[in-house]
Amino acid sequence: MNDVFLPDIACLEKVRDETPDTKTFTLRFRDQPNGNHFHFLPGQFLELSVFGCGEAPFCIASSPTRPGTFETTVRRTGQLTDQLHRLGNGDEVGIRGPFGNGFDVQAARGKDMLFVAGGIGLPPLRSLIWNVLDERDRFGKVTILYGARTPADLVYKHELAEWGKRSDVELLVTVDVAQHDWKGNVGVVPILFQKVTLHPESTLAYVCGPPIMIRFVVRDLLTRGFKEAAVISTLERMMQCGIGKCNHCAIGHRYVCRDGPVFNYRQIAELVE
Amino acid sequence: MVFTIAREGTTKWLDKLLEAGEVIAPVRSPCGDVIFSALRSPAQVVWDFENPLHPPKRFVLPQTDPLVRIKLNGQRHEAEPLYDDAPRTLFNVRSCDVKGIAFLTRMHEAEPADASYLRRAHNLTIISLACTTPCPPGFCSCTDSGPFLSGGYDLQLTDLGGSFLVEVGSEKGEAAMAKAPGLFQKATEVEVAERKALEAAAKTRFGPETCHFGSAMRRISTGRVQDALWEKMGDWCLECGGCNFVCPTCYCFSVKDLGRDGTWVRCRMWDSCQYAAFTLEASGHNPREHRKERMKRRFFHKVSAQYYTRDGLVGCVGCGRCIKTCLGTTHMPAVVAAIRKGKWHE
Repeated sequence: MNDVFLPDIACLEKVRDETPDTKTFTLRFRDQPNGNHFHFLPGQFLELSVFGCGEAPFCIASSPTRPGTFETTVRRTGQLTDQLHRLGNGDEVGIRGPFGNGFDVQAARGKDMLFVAGGIGLPPLRSLIWNVLDERDRFGKVTILYGARTPADLVYKHELAEWGKRSDVELLVTVDVAQHDWKGNVGVVPILFQKVTLHPESTLAYVCGPPIMIRFVVRDLLTRGFKEAAVISTLERMMQCGIGKCNHCAIGHRYVCRDGPVFNYRQIAELVE
Repeated sequence: MVFTIAREGTTKWLDKLLEAGEVIAPVRSPCGDVIFSALRSPAQVVWDFENPLHPPKRFVLPQTDPLVRIKLNGQRHEAEPLYDDAPRTLFNVRSCDVKGIAFLTRMHEAEPADASYLRRAHNLTIISLACTTPCPPGFCSCTDSGPFLSGGYDLQLTDLGGSFLVEVGSEKGEAAMAKAPGLFQKATEVEVAERKALEAAAKTRFGPETCHFGSAMRRISTGRVQDALWEKMGDWCLECGGCNFVCPTCYCFSVKDLGRDGTWVRCRMWDSCQYAAFTLEASGHNPREHRKERMKRRFFHKVSAQYYTRDGLVGCVGCGRCIKTCLGTTHMPAVVAAIRKGKWHE
């Protein structure tokens, strides 16, 4: 019987500042450096331990198409994330997982892919975005709509520039407020829908961001003709065990950590208690 | 097989059980309360008692349960799982508590199995004492968990006066008897009939508490309990978490690292779904900020058909401890009655 609470040790290989309060951590397992034992799907999450401080759930932000190391992007917002942000290259953390269902990448083959992200909601979608881009010919049109509060709050600026240059990706970025030196869009994420052409019948929409953004984006998508099952999101709850036992993330008799965190909008509508 | 043991024989038997490991039994505390505690001598055992406020849950799922030890050697962290394989006997526990442990075991066995709990449960022998007099707040007849059990125990004792009837429920029970061979005789038909009569008599002596789970389950499972009713009941909840901590079937937990300076023990700790921080996320978002939502969650988990289908049991064993502990009267029978009637008692 494997011990479900025993973490593997991983080392921080690289720490990159994304925004003033957000960092991306590149990790490698200390005892199995090639990471061959670690199979995950985009959308799955980890329980990451900062020893002495505890454990918290974070999505895997890197793509399974790039094995060896894996990444997670974390905003400094509580005790554990504060401690995590103090760690640097070579420091050790604990990893349990991957947990959750993840995005169904196989079922998305041949479809147009629409990604709608707000703020720190881009990291879980980034895993899927890179998976799609690394297997680009298996998918249809790729559209990425991304918004943040200010230009400084945009994560993965480097990659946004790269996606913006690609001819096989349509990327639109907006910010809620900006100074005069910002040349891009200003406004909340739904304003971007006016600037792209969507084909709801052949498209899967992946939405992740703060609850208020999700609410408006989903409403917009449904009025534009998206089926509820074609609108896919990943939910956030306080998940402690990752295996559907501790009950922190329960919604009715479903567990976000085990039955989710990825749900389509029809499933979300059925999540009531 | 059914046996008997003479009342005076139990001392010798308990001595043998104590030689084999820890024995947890109801004992009188210095303050006069009856509590479940590790036995030092057989003379401490209380035979006639109302069920203690705290169930023996903590001997299989401790309030602070060490799971993993993490050590820092230089720059290197090493993590090792911690297990408690000590043999333990629960002696003279009541039928409802046996059912409570069965509920916990079923939940921890579900995939992925929880080795930490299961190893402790595997080494636990449960010797229950059937309730010939139901306790005043008990309503175990509504939850099929008493006053006598038809299974789930390793041994079930019935007080026949001068002797105890011993029903064997498992190999662990047989092993517990084998520690003191010669003390047990095959029960006579008269003794078995006496046990049946005692059970029938006990069933007529319940107090006024009842709990009609059926209609409450139907309403809770289909979301047909009015929000205003949850709100009203939520207003009566003091958010103390007492109902969770005395409940034989509550197991929700948090995981915390205890220790300092490079040696930590990661522990599972009891938590309460009635606390506001139970679902609080680091972002500040709290999906169950209001008491009504938390109360709804507690009773959905305990009484809904969705969980009943999954677990095969309602999350209540009818022990009545929440009645004793809840200052706000939002205990199981009151809430179930309110849901059934659509009206809070005021």
